Amino acid sequence: MSLRVTEGSSVRASLVGLQANAGRLADLQAQLSSGRQITKPSDSPTGTANALRLRGELSRITQYQNNATDAIGWLSTTDTVMSSIVTQLQTARTLTVQGLNQGTADATSNNAIASQIDQITKSLIALGNSSYVGRPIFGGTTSGQQAFDAVGNYIGDNGNVDRTIGPNTNVTINATGPSVFGSGATSVFTILSNISNALRTNPAALNGSLAQIDTAMQQVSASQASLGAIYNRVTVAQNNLLTDQVDRKSQLSQIQDIDIADMAIRVSSADATYQAALATTAKIRQTSLLDFVR
Amino acid sequence: MMGSTFGSITDATQALNATRYALDVVQQNISNADTPGYVRQRADLAEVGPVAGAPTLYATGRTGSGVTVSGVTRMNDPVLDARQRTEHGRNEALLSQTGTLGQLENLFNEPSDSGLSEQLNTFWSSWGAVANNPGSIAARNVVLQQATGLATSLNQYNGVLTSLTQTTSAQLGQAVTDINTAAASLATVNKSIAIATAAGTPSNALLDQRDQLLMKLTSVGGATTVIQPNGTADVLIGGQNVVTGTTTTLVGLTGNVMDVGGVAVAPVDGTAGGLLNSLTSVLPSYQAQLDAVANTLATTMNNAQAAGFDLNGNPGAPMFTGTTAATITMSLAGGAGLAASGTPGGNLDASNALAIASFGTQNNSPDASYHALIGNLASQSGQVQQAAQTQASVTDSVDALVQSSDGVSLDEETSNMLTYQRAYQAAARVLTTVDSTLDQLINHTGRVGIA
Repeated sequence: MSLRVTEGSSVRASLVGLQANAGRLADLQAQLSSGRQITKPSDSPTGTANALRLRGELSRITQYQNNATDAIGWLSTTDTVMSSIVTQLQTARTLTVQGLNQGTADATSNNAIASQIDQITKSLIALGNSSYVGRPIFGGTTSGQQAFDAVGNYIGDNGNVDRTIGPNTNVTINATGPSVFGSGATSVFTILSNISNALRTNPAALNGSLAQIDTAMQQVSASQASLGAIYNRVTVAQNNLLTDQVDRKSQLSQIQDIDIADMAIRVSSADATYQAALATTAKIRQTSLLDFVR
Repeated sequence: MMGSTFGSITDATQALNATRYALDVVQQNISNADTPGYVRQRADLAEVGPVAGAPTLYATGRTGSGVTVSGVTRMNDPVLDARQRTEHGRNEALLSQTGTLGQLENLFNEPSDSGLSEQLNTFWSSWGAVANNPGSIAARNVVLQQATGLATSLNQYNGVLTSLTQTTSAQLGQAVTDINTAAASLATVNKSIAIATAAGTPSNALLDQRDQLLMKLTSVGGATTVIQPNGTADVLIGGQNVVTGTTTTLVGLTGNVMDVGGVAVAPVDGTAGGLLNSLTSVLPSYQAQLDAVANTLATTMNNAQAAGFDLNGNPGAPMFTGTTAATITMSLAGGAGLAASGTPGGNLDASNALAIASFGTQNNSPDASYHALIGNLASQSGQVQQAAQTQASVTDSVDALVQSSDGVSLDEETSNMLTYQRAYQAAARVLTTVDSTLDQLINHTGRVGIA
């Protein structure tokens, strides 16, 4: 069927076209000025779902990074302290050898050695009460300020201090007092106190002490080694977290953000189209039959 | 075989009248070329034949006796008009729904740094900070602040949803008022049309008015129309009669239920249909989903608190009271009340806090609930926008067709004007000729011998 063309229909058609062009231009300008491809969820339902998921993951990754940094701090402190403990125990061993060699020959010298052993005991108690961010590192999860009392009794608990360094990945970063220093008759403090007493009263009882000190040193070293392994694990996790973070951020940017150059070209092209439509509309039907009728 | 003496003059006069009337119609069209809703008119000129059955003294019948205007046709297409009304009705409904869903999208403002999703992320992170330092009251207080922020946001969203519902309800009330006003006007116009049709006078302007009112009733109320043979229109909404001839039934609104004279109706098309859909389906659905998010948050956190122990070694107290978006409130007094520890007795164990910090990843977390809400909103809004766009272009093309058939083309009117003008001139010339022949007969015949 042949359509009649009226003034009204031409104007109408032009207006519809102008509106469509103006609408497209407005959308593109909104995207350009906000810097976002997705200004509302309906712009891209799957993009929105992905963006929300990625934001959650990024937030968690940042938290894992904080956790890992804190774990590293704790583990480093523990490692340094444990090295000092080993050094102190070695000194104690040397002194014990000296005492053994001297035997009952020199009581004064033995008393001097006993005093030194006592000092080492006090140092070890102080080391045992080392703290990180206000918590005793060997105290487990106690809310008290110390892991050992003045005579070497353990006053902490045996809770674990865990850190989450990845999805479903927790590491225990502490070593409780008994696991490092031993407990009861085989605790380092008991051993040293026995040595001190033996030096003062009965040097012959020192015969088994060396073996006890050796066992104690091995326990500390073993504990240090296992915490060292955890330290390495956390370091590796930190590197992975960094890579993950960069990856997620880049994915999020691709979904959410606009490519400025591309968008600027699209806006100027839409603008040119709109200008052309405006110019065409202005030229419609300037003349009609009435101009030609005499 | 002669006609009456002055019959030719009468015929010529009739031609003059007819062409002048036709020129009047052309003038009417040109004057109303830009009037909205105006349908072009055309004068119908019909030949007047010899009077049938009249006794005659003559062997051969006489010729016809001129031209008359048999009527003024309104050049519309009723089928196209009905279709135009339907498409406008659907268009208005979709526009209304697009508006509501668009406002919901603005409310939630996702994805962004300030939406509820990011607030939930920060909340879980704050628990992670407590897990690193369970003895820090400052870190615990941050968790409480975040929790309060979540509750406040949920309350605010609820408030906006409620006021959106109220606004939509008010708009529906306004639409119902508009429907009743238009119905009353239509009844009046129907009355005038009926009288005019019975009397045989032209009623084209009334018919234009009637069509305007019908368009309004369909696009606002989603009504259907039945046009009677005498030109009056009956209007029904949801199968119930709103206008029948000159009688109207009032359309009412009680809460979310529209009724026609007390009988409940639920129009689908028209602004009213779109608003009803928002009030009864869309807004309640998102209200329920928002309440579910609040409920999940409160229940999850209260259970987690109950499973752990606070800084003083006591079992954790509930973190939230209220389980809907309107009523959820943070109810812990101080940071010491956070149940970070997993063992009783008052220690710095953080196993419960550790577990809570990773709640955001679980399938039954408030995050999952909220993401589902946003997902639903995104796809529903996108779908309605797409449907609205399609409907808009269908409506535009129907409007263009109607414009094309009903609209006034100045070129066409100008050439009609020329035609009628020449016809008038020709008829006048015929009159002059007949006049001069009569003059010859009357004044110059039989004057032989007169000085």
